[in-house]
Amino acid sequence: MRPINMRREGVNVTQAKDVARDPSLGRQFSIQTDVVIVGSGAGGAVMAYELAKAGRKVLVLESGRYWPSAEFTENLGDTLTKVYRDQAAQANTTTDVLFLEGNCVGGSTVIGACVMQRPGDEVFQKWSDELGLKGLGPRELDKYFEQVEGWLHVHTNEAHEVNTTAHKVIQGCERMGFSWRPVQRNVKNCALTGHCLAGCPSDRKMSALVTHLPWAAAYGARIFSDTEVSRVLMRGGRATGVEAVIRDPDTGTVVSNVRVDAQVVVLAAGAIHTPLILQRSQAPDRGGNIGRNMAVQPFTQVLATFKEDLYGFQGALVGVEVDEFLKSDGFTFYSALAEPEQLMATGEQEAGDEHINFMKSFKRMAGLNAFAIDKGEGQVIWEGDHLNGRKVIKWSPSREDFERITRATSIAARIFFSAGAERVWLPTFQKMHADSVFDLDEKLARVDYGINGIYSYRMNSFTPHGTCRMGLDPYESVVSADGEVHGVSGLYVADASIFPTPVSSTPQWTVQVLSRYVADRILARAPSHFLS
Amino acid sequence: MTTKQQADAAVAPLASLSRRKLLKTALWASAGTALVVAGGFAWLRRSPVDELPAPDGLKQLSASEYHLFRRAIEVLLPTDGTLLTPVAQIPVIANIDHLMGLVEPAIREELGIALGLFDNAAVFSGLHGKRFVDLDDEAALRYFDVWSAGNTLQRTLATVVKKFVYVSYWRDPATWPPIRFDGAVSDRWGIPSLGNSPLPDESVEVTA
Repeated sequence: MRPINMRREGVNVTQAKDVARDPSLGRQFSIQTDVVIVGSGAGGAVMAYELAKAGRKVLVLESGRYWPSAEFTENLGDTLTKVYRDQAAQANTTTDVLFLEGNCVGGSTVIGACVMQRPGDEVFQKWSDELGLKGLGPRELDKYFEQVEGWLHVHTNEAHEVNTTAHKVIQGCERMGFSWRPVQRNVKNCALTGHCLAGCPSDRKMSALVTHLPWAAAYGARIFSDTEVSRVLMRGGRATGVEAVIRDPDTGTVVSNVRVDAQVVVLAAGAIHTPLILQRSQAPDRGGNIGRNMAVQPFTQVLATFKEDLYGFQGALVGVEVDEFLKSDGFTFYSALAEPEQLMATGEQEAGDEHINFMKSFKRMAGLNAFAIDKGEGQVIWEGDHLNGRKVIKWSPSREDFERITRATSIAARIFFSAGAERVWLPTFQKMHADSVFDLDEKLARVDYGINGIYSYRMNSFTPHGTCRMGLDPYESVVSADGEVHGVSGLYVADASIFPTPVSSTPQWTVQVLSRYVADRILARAPSHFLS
Repeated sequence: MTTKQQADAAVAPLASLSRRKLLKTALWASAGTALVVAGGFAWLRRSPVDELPAPDGLKQLSASEYHLFRRAIEVLLPTDGTLLTPVAQIPVIANIDHLMGLVEPAIREELGIALGLFDNAAVFSGLHGKRFVDLDDEAALRYFDVWSAGNTLQRTLATVVKKFVYVSYWRDPATWPPIRFDGAVSDRWGIPSLGNSPLPDESVEVTA
């Protein structure tokens, strides 16, 4: 029986500055461990905790920086620059779609809006029955969902967590006869600051930063930040470790090159970066699926101005969701209005006096974010050699996606008009708003699909998935039903990239469940993976 | 918030926008040859402001870029007579100048050409016969509006200029009180940190 020591606050993280200060490490060093986990977000943190708890020697490598919660400023602009990947400018090739993700210890769990959504049973039934992934049936995963729910304080928003923006959505839904419900969030005693997207300085958001990572560290897991894995090392069809570069996060200069020798490698770098690591590593890919089949859940934000003051940016960021169209169309709508900077990013800002009036009406605004399911036809590609190449993200809306987004925008606008909105601001690259429901369709008809839908709607993605999808057939998928990369023993994936099909729910809860599932598979096969 | 922080934050949209490879792709694909030719001829058009120096202290903006942004700020942010924080009290130009210094050199070069195009294209676009910096308020505002509803290149360039100006203004917390945005509240409200969540119940032998 071993004693477990856990810190009251913060996580023990070895940072680039610590490596630079340690003369015993030098410019090149190696580490031996049982398991190396690449990424410390939803998937990596759960994996680290489960394997460390089981007595394995665990090393977590995170490319981003370590930001203790106390350093969060509640300033979205600061956070976008420091904590988000590529300063929140990670974009597709036509740069009209931003892919927003955390680049820090704790990953996107740190900057997410706390929304936890469990996909309907029919999703897992399909994965189990149609795709033959028997371990992913709803009953099989139920215990994992319940465990995450309890550990991360997932609860349905109570009345005080439903702000005025959300009440406008409720009002509109009631008049339209649309189904809505308070969202479920992973937050403990929410302070109602509304700054979720900038991190939670009072540690109420149950991100990996205050849950699975300190828990894993309590069981002996080591965590390195500022450490970018360049490739997985493989020999004789077996993963043997990784190569990584530790960089000073302020200057980008290389502090050390590190080689990790491990018996099991788990990639949990997210749906964009996990396939890139596999491509850089020249992992076997019989069907050419690594990086393909990316679903992005494109979302747009519809803003509305009301007659009365709402102060809709106060209170819990996300209050309610509109679930009327979840099964029929794959749409989910979340109420939310963030900081003034957000308005600069998500819509046309008008000019001159109109801009002044637009911003003066901020206190009278409400926001509704429309997430739409897409067909999973995006792709991420690593171009060039493993050290000096670059990532390429390909996704543009198909005609079908475009029409779906148009419909989602129309629904969101109608909800707001039904709630009494004086004006609805449409999320287009063209300057466009509607002052009544009667000119809405005519306005939306002006949005041109053009060339591949680029620069049509202002779409972003928080939730790409499916780029290393799970399946039984190595020609149709990347990882097996155990989460192991086809053809490479001891190389596992445990993040949103293994989703077998596109889903319309926010993925964090499912990622944590699948990571726990893969951890169990690894431990079940421990005799074949670990020497001791 | 320091100027560095403001500038760093504003780089996000800038990086995204400048990655649009304005001159390599959007220009040729969307603007068409006519606009390019128009831009080329218009570069020869002189403006009275060309004789005016940029203020001392600017490290990144060229004199022509300074005049372009100065005019854009006047047109885009007419705060005089409103309840908003006067634009003169916010170091918008200094913030933009600092931002420019953070842009990758290759992107910065493209951006400079793109800004020149935005300024000069006004000579032909809308038949103004003048560069953007010389348009009166009404015409300059209309120029933004027309370009905001124009083709891909026009929308992109109008967005670039707007984002530079608006981000450099609205990111300053001094601009928030008039729109009743609270900004950071946790310290002000005295919200204590809850620290790390305790180990789950399944754990054994936990010691603090």
